[in-house]
Amino acid sequence: MIGRRWWTPWIWLSPALVLLTVFLFYPVVNTFVTSFMDADSAGGIWDLIDDPDKFVGLDNYEFIIDNPRPLVSNTHAALYNNGLWLILFTGLTVPVGLLFAVLAARVRYEAVAKSAIFIPMAISFVAASVIWRFMYEFNPDVGTVNAVKTELGSASTAWLQDRGSPQTPFVDAGPDSAWGPLQVNNFALILVGVWMWAGFAMVVLSAGLKGISTEVLEAARVDGAGEWYIFRRIILPILSPTIVVVATTLVIQALKKFDLVWVMTGGRAETDVVATLFFTEAFRQGEFGRGAALAVVLLAWVVPIMVISIRRFQFQEETR
Amino acid sequence: MAVTTQARRGSPLDVLRRFAQRLPVHVALIFFALLWSIPTIALLLSSFREPGDVVTSGWWNAITHPLDLSLSNYEDVLNTRDMDRAFINSLIITVPSTFFVVLVAAFAAYAFAWMQFPGRNALFIVMVGLLVVPLQMTLIPVLRLYTDLTIDVDMPILGGRVFGTNSYIGIWMAHAAYGLPFAIYLLRNFFGSLPRDILESAYIDGASDAGIFFRLIIPLSMPAIAALTIFQFLWVWNDLLVSLILLGDPELAPMTLKVSSLVSSFGTQYQLLTAAAFISMALPLVIFFALQRYFVQGILAGSVKG
Amino acid sequence: MAEVRFENVTKDFGGERPAVKDFDLQIADKEFLVLVGPSGCGKSTTLRMLAGLEEITSGRIYIGDRLVNDVAAKDRDIAMVFQSYALYPHMSVFDNMAFGLKLRKVKKDEIRNRVEVAARTLGIEELLKRKPRALSGGQRQRVALGRAIVRSPAVFLFDEPLSNLDAKLRVQTRAEISKLHLRLGTTFVYVTHDQVEAMTMATRIVVMKDGLIQQVGTPSELYDYPTNMFVAGFIGSPSMNFFEGTVMKDDGGLFLDLPGFQLPLPPERAPDIEARAGKPIVAGVRPENIHAREYTPPGTRTAEFESEVEVAELLGNETIAHLSIGEETFLARLDPRVQARPGEKLPLAIDIERVQIFDRESEERLGEAKPTTKPA
Repeated sequence: MIGRRWWTPWIWLSPALVLLTVFLFYPVVNTFVTSFMDADSAGGIWDLIDDPDKFVGLDNYEFIIDNPRPLVSNTHAALYNNGLWLILFTGLTVPVGLLFAVLAARVRYEAVAKSAIFIPMAISFVAASVIWRFMYEFNPDVGTVNAVKTELGSASTAWLQDRGSPQTPFVDAGPDSAWGPLQVNNFALILVGVWMWAGFAMVVLSAGLKGISTEVLEAARVDGAGEWYIFRRIILPILSPTIVVVATTLVIQALKKFDLVWVMTGGRAETDVVATLFFTEAFRQGEFGRGAALAVVLLAWVVPIMVISIRRFQFQEETR
Repeated sequence: MAVTTQARRGSPLDVLRRFAQRLPVHVALIFFALLWSIPTIALLLSSFREPGDVVTSGWWNAITHPLDLSLSNYEDVLNTRDMDRAFINSLIITVPSTFFVVLVAAFAAYAFAWMQFPGRNALFIVMVGLLVVPLQMTLIPVLRLYTDLTIDVDMPILGGRVFGTNSYIGIWMAHAAYGLPFAIYLLRNFFGSLPRDILESAYIDGASDAGIFFRLIIPLSMPAIAALTIFQFLWVWNDLLVSLILLGDPELAPMTLKVSSLVSSFGTQYQLLTAAAFISMALPLVIFFALQRYFVQGILAGSVKG
Repeated sequence: MAEVRFENVTKDFGGERPAVKDFDLQIADKEFLVLVGPSGCGKSTTLRMLAGLEEITSGRIYIGDRLVNDVAAKDRDIAMVFQSYALYPHMSVFDNMAFGLKLRKVKKDEIRNRVEVAARTLGIEELLKRKPRALSGGQRQRVALGRAIVRSPAVFLFDEPLSNLDAKLRVQTRAEISKLHLRLGTTFVYVTHDQVEAMTMATRIVVMKDGLIQQVGTPSELYDYPTNMFVAGFIGSPSMNFFEGTVMKDDGGLFLDLPGFQLPLPPERAPDIEARAGKPIVAGVRPENIHAREYTPPGTRTAEFESEVEVAELLGNETIAHLSIGEETFLARLDPRVQARPGEKLPLAIDIERVQIFDRESEERLGEAKPTTKPA
């Protein structure tokens, strides 16, 4: 606009820039540096300047890769579990959310139905943990899931402790058990995540659905297309950017998952994820260097997502 | 010519037919809605039961024995376990944080959406990238920063810990900062989608940047702002990690922290846990129901047809 | 004084060619000036530069005596009506119209006064309390007009305001805007892609193409004396028919040798064309200057030939015939009494005094045809 002074945009930006720099830019750099330092290095760069001996190179990363103390800090389990979360959590939540969005769009009580699904998003992970610890309780007189299970005739399961009869990389369940990628307790935790976030997927996808012009759908119906065909060939493609948005958010959530695991199991019985391990290492064991290294690992996992969302964003910009 | 039972629109037969076609949808939807609600209902019911009952019999029994309900768990949790204090703490932490985030993000989003300046795209891209940075990457240095910068002020009302660990201002700023990437991204997209002509028209009419911001952009963006406010409010209210690390003083602990410590101390005393959890959920649920219409509504037709 | 001057104005967005190049124009006070041209010709960009919504790459713009290149839009004393009306959706009609005045700290009574007067002029007094979404397209358009009127600007700018209206409303609103212009006596600068709007409303028209001015003139001048093929083909509907051919000379004088037929030129036109004997030209004949031989208006000098009818569109007041001769197809506006059936051969007469001749390469007009819009 003619007449706007050059410094005006910067004034509008400044509060945000300051906060972002102090709380995001600077710490990221600092944590990165800290990951190359030894235990007592909460100060990161500053500690390094004070005492260059703290620099330990790649030791912390080696620790993560070698997993020398699996009983105390099982880094392999954490990494593996994060992978599981990523795939299962996202892979289940998106279709479930989409299903709800599509179903709900067809009834008049849409708003009410959607609320029911969305409510879990409103509660904290901590509260959810309480709810599901309660649900998963071993004693079938208390735990709902096991109550149903015993009613149906099978025995009750210790959902949160059970490492699963399938043999997994971390549990040697005996020579007769089959190898399976999933421990029961991890699965139980991931289910809680799905329970919570399906509502989010549903709301976003629902908004996306509404954005599809009815004329396009009507034209297809007039052309003779069946509902399923319309869904697959018209709705899904138009929705795909929205689905990508939802999926990327969920992936980020999966990687960051801390609260849920921490409160439900404290990471025990091999349900640890990188985020909980980070906390244990840095704040319980005082190993700031290792903690930082774990954080960097998390960041590394997240970088591809970053690239995807940036690319997508740039593409959107061009077509604006 | 075949005889068809083509029902006329709106006639009882037609209504019934359409309902029958929709029946599977209804069934599926209601089933899932109930399924999804059961855990929460379980919690709610259990919190009203006597301590003894909770651990011995399933909560579904409460439906059949409505007279055995009591408020004793709530009394216990609120009075002896300091949940009331925790509730207030949660409020004190969440409300200002939400306000600051929305305000700061709106300012920045306006600049990104409607002003030209060098490096605009690059800067925004960096911010989009920041969206995904895990909190863990930032907490150790921030904690260190706070421990170093702890400021205590000796003043009657405003005194006490002004900044640093265990300070309100500290936690407000941290939450505001962490919420910014998402907030700016959301608002910027929304602001950018406002019709350019309206802004140009206002510009010609004589509005300044601030004038356009407060008189046009904000009023026209209320749905997005409402949605953002809800997200941010819930996010901060339900946060555990940031409070865990930056707020060690149990006096200042928000409810998430409180419940979490209750779980670790009283793992199987579900009567306590359920009541505590429900209290922590109460406000978000109320807010959700009250503001839900806002973000479901969307913006209504504006000055342009369609 | 609200005259507007463009001196060598250029706007470059960095594309293959500048959006507007060397735009030079003087607009007198109280004129109704229309910028017309196809999409992408630069007309909107020019208007926006005048409004202050686009920076000027080079050149100067004056409003009154003031150089306004670096003056912010709000200080240029202009008002603009947008194609999409740009009404503030969350404000009532009254507030929409009062917005600019409030910002300028005009007194409340004065605001109320001005808004009511403008509303009365446009017939929207009853709508003052409504919000835009409760209005029809035509009503919104009027509110947009009202908002501009209330400001009493030196220059009114219009960016394709009728494009979003349906056909009937468009005709009606055209007349209203013309009346408004007479009533307000202010300079109007109006952009459209529709030549009908331009011809019916403008005191002067600027035809643009690819960022350049093709011709500036009154509607009558553009119709009768188009400077090049583009203007000739752009103005008038259905558009002028073009035939490629050569100028030939024989004992009878000059004639145009065209595919399928020949057109003798009236002797008074010889001097301009003589030099072109043997050279390639393009002949332009307007559909209204091709008559059915039976119903040729008396006094017209014509050349006669026959043509096959492909399609006949009966409009009631006239018949538009799509005709073909050899490989060429062209249109003619015929007297409604003509029986023109597809497949038949129809005897035609072309008004040879009104044939336009253009140089085939430069596309510029050669010589002058007899005007239609002036008395004989």
